[in-house]
Amino acid sequence: MAVARLRAFLDHPAGPKTIFFWAPMMKWGLVVAGLADLNRPVEKISVPQSMALACTGLIWVRYSFVIIPKNYNLALVNFFVGGTGMYQLSRVFKARMEASRSLNAVRE
Amino acid sequence: MGGPQNVGGKAATSVLMRFINSPTGPRTTHFWGPVANWGFALAGLVDMKKPADMVSSRMTAALCVYSLLFMRFALRVQPRNLILFSCHAANEVVQLYQFQRSLGGYDYFAGKKMAEEATARK
Repeated sequence: MAVARLRAFLDHPAGPKTIFFWAPMMKWGLVVAGLADLNRPVEKISVPQSMALACTGLIWVRYSFVIIPKNYNLALVNFFVGGTGMYQLSRVFKARMEASRSLNAVRE
Repeated sequence: MGGPQNVGGKAATSVLMRFINSPTGPRTTHFWGPVANWGFALAGLVDMKKPADMVSSRMTAALCVYSLLFMRFALRVQPRNLILFSCHAANEVVQLYQFQRSLGGYDYFAGKKMAEEATARK
């Protein structure tokens, strides 16, 4: 029974014999590499790049569901790409709010 | 605009309308997903001016493999997506250039700068 399930996985239209498996897997590698950047100092975060990542990630989540074959792995990896982009943007936003708040406090 | 008309045997709907309404046109995610991906290719193009020691060999090598895989993905997915293919093809070229540059290879902008300085000194 386990063998049957393994075979079903191997022969899946988005399985390991196809590019639809390996391309998203490769993208996970990029996500993991990007995880190290999560703790980068806020001043070094590139806002345009983070915005691009957030937008691409989210658009691609939907794209993964409309292509044939449907690709849940690709949807998930792009969800993380979009998520990390949004997280970085939130850090920049928060830091800038803090900076403007402290600037206003000094002025008073 | 009056609907499709047959004018002198030409197509009933204009090329523009056919593009807009096509299954991979701007009304679908099949269009905007890959258009969003062009952002990376353009970011890579801008990075070509970065000094070579700021280029990460590991990252560019990974991106070379990544774009190669997605070039094939774009051709095999249904529906076939040439916008996606073109953005990864462009990124592949850029990342290959960056990779050889990070290993000390040919740097177009550094070479240009040196030539300019040489002519300025003369």
